[in-house]
Amino acid sequence: MSDPKMSDPNHQSSSPAPRQVTFRGGGFAPASHRWIGVAVFAILFALAELGTRQGWISPLTLPLPSDVLGTFGELYASGLLWAHLSVSLTRLLVGAALGASLGIAVGVMIGLFSYVRAGLVPLTAALFPIPKIALLPLFVIWFGIDEGSKYALIAFGTFTPTVVATYGAVDNVDRSLIRMGQSFNLSWFSIVRKIVLPGAMPGILSGLRISLAIAIILLVAAEMLGAEYGIGAYILEAGSLYDLERLFAGVAILSLLGVAVSSVIGIVERRLLDWR
Amino acid sequence: MTIFTRRKALALIGGTAATAALATPALASNRKITVGALRFTSHSGSFIGFERGYFAKAGLDVEFKFFQAATPMAVAIASGDVDYAVTAMSGGLVSLADKGAVKVIGGALSEETGIDGQKFLVSDAAYQAGVTTPAQLAGKSYGITTAGSSFHYMGSKMAAAEGIDLKFKPLQKVGAIIGALKSGQIDAWSIVPHIAKPLAGSGKVHIIGNVSDYLPDYQVTTVFTSAKNAAGEQQMTKDFLSGYSMGVADYNATMIDKSHGEAGIQELVDLVHKYVYTDRPREKAAKSIINGTMRLNEGAAMNTASLQDQLSWFQAEGLVDQSISLETVIDPSYVQTLG
Amino acid sequence: MDIRLSGVSHSYDDFEVLRDISLEIPSGRIVCIVGPSGCGKSTLLRFIGGLEQPTQGKVLQIGTPPQDCLNPLTYIFQDFALLPWRSVRGNISLVLEDHGIRGARADAIIQDVLTRTKLSDFAKALPKQLSGGMKQRVAIARALAVNPAVMLMDEPLSALDSQTRELLMDDLISLWSRTPFTAVYVTHNLAEAVRLGHSIVVMSRRPGEIREVVHLDKPLDQRQYGDADLEEQQKYLWQLMREEARAADAELVHV
Repeated sequence: MSDPKMSDPNHQSSSPAPRQVTFRGGGFAPASHRWIGVAVFAILFALAELGTRQGWISPLTLPLPSDVLGTFGELYASGLLWAHLSVSLTRLLVGAALGASLGIAVGVMIGLFSYVRAGLVPLTAALFPIPKIALLPLFVIWFGIDEGSKYALIAFGTFTPTVVATYGAVDNVDRSLIRMGQSFNLSWFSIVRKIVLPGAMPGILSGLRISLAIAIILLVAAEMLGAEYGIGAYILEAGSLYDLERLFAGVAILSLLGVAVSSVIGIVERRLLDWR
Repeated sequence: MTIFTRRKALALIGGTAATAALATPALASNRKITVGALRFTSHSGSFIGFERGYFAKAGLDVEFKFFQAATPMAVAIASGDVDYAVTAMSGGLVSLADKGAVKVIGGALSEETGIDGQKFLVSDAAYQAGVTTPAQLAGKSYGITTAGSSFHYMGSKMAAAEGIDLKFKPLQKVGAIIGALKSGQIDAWSIVPHIAKPLAGSGKVHIIGNVSDYLPDYQVTTVFTSAKNAAGEQQMTKDFLSGYSMGVADYNATMIDKSHGEAGIQELVDLVHKYVYTDRPREKAAKSIINGTMRLNEGAAMNTASLQDQLSWFQAEGLVDQSISLETVIDPSYVQTLG
Repeated sequence: MDIRLSGVSHSYDDFEVLRDISLEIPSGRIVCIVGPSGCGKSTLLRFIGGLEQPTQGKVLQIGTPPQDCLNPLTYIFQDFALLPWRSVRGNISLVLEDHGIRGARADAIIQDVLTRTKLSDFAKALPKQLSGGMKQRVAIARALAVNPAVMLMDEPLSALDSQTRELLMDDLISLWSRTPFTAVYVTHNLAEAVRLGHSIVVMSRRPGEIREVVHLDKPLDQRQYGDADLEEQQKYLWQLMREEARAADAELVHV
């Protein structure tokens, strides 16, 4: 450091005292604070409990959280929880499996064949915005009032978003990998099975996340018609009886179901996509 | 006939109540109130009360608010958006009463032996398969809107009386039930005559019994208000009931007792048609309105025995809390109670 | 097996990319193709391997590939083109599976090519765990596994930093010295060309034509980083290309 200016005392005296450079690179970096989420829930519950007990929240507006918990306990003890949950899970499983597997198949076809794409993309775009609930009466005529119409509604609801997510994912598969496959003379079937499908898997799975959330939403709609048991039927019944405790207990079960489905997909993603 | 005389007596009571209200004009005359209504013939009491100025004479400025279903109407009463309304005492209504939000203060539509009331219907497929009486419905599916609805109550009481099992199918809306019944997705249902008769006329469904055979004196719908009005606005509530009762008296006298002849009926049909079946031409609407005629309780008298039976049934089915007593649900201080 | 290009020309609609390229690629030699960016050298490589078709002219194979050759014309790509969801082993077995080579036979081949590319310890690693240089060695191992008659290398070292590039060049030279292979090596880096090429084809800017073919007689294993004679050659090549490169750089990008 032989810079003459640095050692020049005259120069030094005329410049202001050295100052630390201010740090301005903070924020915009997401960090994990899991406990805050739990705390928000806890505070909301505590507020609701306090408010309803003190009376500044009327019992018409919100049920006591502890009563909801009690209702849930009764539901569990009576064995009805399982009666409702088992039929709902079956409907969800069968409907979503039908819709998602059909959706993936059609989405892959659209991604691979330009004729299929030309034919089916407009059709999918036309089907996507239809509120599936509006078609429920029609499904009852087509598939019967029992399980058929419920499977169909959930399947139809999961089908379109899965198709869109799948062909988008297939489109996004790295073309250079496909070209590599061709350059090694891999058969068409091998390229689809070993390159296109695994390459599209991240997109398909994130599409499934949305599709399955839609399936849970549609579960309530599906159980509007002719369902004696099921979480959706339980919620609708509670609504018509203006039984807020049961309503909230049912809604909480749906939320938990959503969290469960989301974490199952998370596990599948971690197992299938550990290469990312 | 004893029933007839009792009815006459009630008409008298209603009349006197009305005159009493007129004699002592309400302190707050021309008070604005909101009345909830469904576009059904069974709400004619309110429509006539308004059109013929009975509410105005009672010192009330009535504004109607129309609903598509009974539950939102009950919630609107609870929230204070609507002051008075007429609907069935559903499980939802009982829950709201239990929460201190609403009170049943009178009766509206009721079943009565000898008068055409609600019907049991079966699909054509079930009928062809030999179901011609309610007793043969064992194991069949039965349409209801929701658990705890009046349909559920009627079906359940009939099944209990016949000692049979029914599979109840909640379908949320009357329209959905009609569709399901016509297409044979469900086997049976019960409904008011003005819907039952045209359906049976189409040949796709068949009438196989009367609800009144199983539930004589069934209090089908009730007049209700918020608990606040029932307890704190006694003058206003009395005024409303007097105006309403005069409308009911006109309706019963004209449509059932035919005391004003054919011309009176036509005049009333014109009046009701302003509110009900407005999307249909007058000739068609007239038929439905006349078909739908059922007796409304004179003076808004209510059958507490029937209401108690309904409450007990809700409790037996586990639909409402076991601790609720009838006193929580009704306020019998305004009208004559029957049963 | 030799490759011969005769009168290859290509245009996309009205846009002429290559003009009348005739070239001989003799067996056991490495031919480098250099030229300014956009001169069509990568397109030319795709013609040689049959991934694209020229509008005019022919690409010919002369002689038959050896018996045990699974994929005569085999590419090595600039971006490695490894399947990220398959391990090093899996990426190599991918190109064997379609030939029905599995089990012990596949293991033997994989073991052999991994040894040759010094990757034996990394058979189970996923591409995301590997450095760029390692990834390209996996790609080279994969290419070796099919025992190609001609290797088509498209800027194979361009995505790597300069130290790694030096190391990989040494690897390629030692691979070739042990078993000479035929290769077409496309690059824009003249230092690579003078290190690896038996002959260097210098192309003009678009439309690409052959300006000169430079032959280097010095054996590959005697060429070193910073050799004076190689520096001379590199300077000469740069003189040939300088004006072309400047003009190419000033051109508007044609999309």
